[in-house]
Amino acid sequence: MSGRLLHHWVDEAAARAPNVPAFRMRDDEITYERLARKSDQLAALLIEGGVRPGDRVGLYLNKSLETPVALFGVLKAGAAYAPLDPTAPMSRTAAVMRECGVRALITHEPKARAAETLLSTENLGDDFALVIGAAAPPAASLRAISWSALDAAPSLDEPDRTEDDIAYIIFTSGSTGAPKGITHTHRSGVAYALAAAELYEVSPDSRLSNHSPLHFDMSTFDYLSGPCAGACTVIIPEAYAMLPASMSTLIEQERFTHWYSVPFALIQLLEHGALDQRDLASLRWVMFGGEPFPAKYLRALRAHMPNATFSNVYGPAEVNQCTYHHVLQEDFAAETPPPIGKTWAIADGIQLDEHDAIMNTGSIGELAIASDTMMEGYWGRGDLNAKAFYTRIGDDGAKTKYYRTGDIVRDLGDGIYEFVGRKDRQTKVRGYRVELEEVESVISAVAGVSEAAAVIIEGASGSAEIASSFTAQMDDGDDLINRIQSAVAEKLPVYAAPAHLERIASFPRTTSGKIDRNAVARQFSIAKSEEAIAHAG
Amino acid sequence: MRDDVRALVIEKMLDGKDVPDGEDLLISGLIDSLGVMRLVRLLEARFSITIPAEDVIFEHFASIDDLAAYVERRKAAG
Repeated sequence: MSGRLLHHWVDEAAARAPNVPAFRMRDDEITYERLARKSDQLAALLIEGGVRPGDRVGLYLNKSLETPVALFGVLKAGAAYAPLDPTAPMSRTAAVMRECGVRALITHEPKARAAETLLSTENLGDDFALVIGAAAPPAASLRAISWSALDAAPSLDEPDRTEDDIAYIIFTSGSTGAPKGITHTHRSGVAYALAAAELYEVSPDSRLSNHSPLHFDMSTFDYLSGPCAGACTVIIPEAYAMLPASMSTLIEQERFTHWYSVPFALIQLLEHGALDQRDLASLRWVMFGGEPFPAKYLRALRAHMPNATFSNVYGPAEVNQCTYHHVLQEDFAAETPPPIGKTWAIADGIQLDEHDAIMNTGSIGELAIASDTMMEGYWGRGDLNAKAFYTRIGDDGAKTKYYRTGDIVRDLGDGIYEFVGRKDRQTKVRGYRVELEEVESVISAVAGVSEAAAVIIEGASGSAEIASSFTAQMDDGDDLINRIQSAVAEKLPVYAAPAHLERIASFPRTTSGKIDRNAVARQFSIAKSEEAIAHAG
Repeated sequence: MRDDVRALVIEKMLDGKDVPDGEDLLISGLIDSLGVMRLVRLLEARFSITIPAEDVIFEHFASIDDLAAYVERRKAAG
């Protein structure tokens, strides 16, 4: 017996309710029966094309109905899927593919040209053997298969897999500039999807929103908890996610019962979504996570979503999710964002001090989490894995592994945690994790730059923006700024690009001689408010 | 009108990069969600129109063609 695997839910729903839509997008949909069949066919083609159990397969897809087919097809082939950011610079995408040594790449028509350029310009290693949905570059020893070949696929002989086999790898920014792959097994994925479906009452009648792109870990709720409950997930096209008034129409028309996104998307919806003209009564759960949600926006949103319970979802991608807090009456009235709440039933949380001692209740310290939803580790990074976990030895000598979140939290009592800050310089921009060191290392590497300091300042609608100042060896004016902007566009994802870039003569320093980043941030904030005043005048 | 809208989008939003009239503006990272709001303010100032929130929708903003047609209608409506 192979145990519970993530794709079993799709096959079970197909047998139970074949004609129920599993995913919808625009005016199209894919039923559970069709999803089960198409993912079988894709898995058979992957296996025929050389994909072996335990291999990694990159998904290079815009939002589409091909996405769930690709995701479950890879799992049925016994491999793990690695979602790639379709908007990332090509060199970064290639770096991610090399990092986890993908055997195959799955793409589709909107990304085919980009994929072909990627395949012909980047070395993806000796193991790379297959592309689906694009042509193979001339002279490459690659097999290329089109999506239309699915109907002619041989029948699937599903490989024997267990819960401890890898299922998906989510990549995130690393402080040295190399992306790191958070590697989850079927066990951790299943544990998460089940717990989230239960906590948020996902049922076959539910309509889930897929707002997050697949490479962003919040999408696991939409893609895994949805099928887990036999529900329908509605994929929100990229363009709609940029147009709040279209997005609010979609919520009404598709009668979403669950919404899950970063606070930024909900604030955009509130400010530009024409909500006065929309009926959002279908929403039962409004889940948000990734960064704190200012209470004043929550108060305003609640008026438009009369039947919704709001819930703060917390958990680094390394543990999928671990705490939650359903927003209470007093939280709406508060001046501060709602807390990250208490660990859910399947997780255990402890707080560690700087010497790794477990702290008493009521303390402020680093949150560490033990849970079945925890990752196996960072792909191929023994150095990081040695530091990422804490082993607790119980009174009976039993060892329990905890993931160190790097988040400093305050224990408010009754097991409720409040986010205080980070142990390192990781930060969040619209919910995306950004290591400020990585931004600095890209800017510092540009010829002519002496030093760079990246900081976070408050931008529009309370969202965070990255600002960076730098010192230069000589004054070549705009040319240097242009070179920095090119380097940023080539190496960093869009969300990690500084919104403000400024050359300064010298950095403010602390008494110990370090760059005073608080002072750098203050300078940017002052400059921004002066600019705002000038515009208003 | 199409040329004016096009020039504005290319100069202010795309750092001078050209984009075909019919091409999808909003996918592949050409413009992001904050960019859309900035574009709305620029269009309002440049063409002396007001653009209500309920008009900032896919049907009007998908491409330069769509955007130009919308601005024209809005201007004619006064």
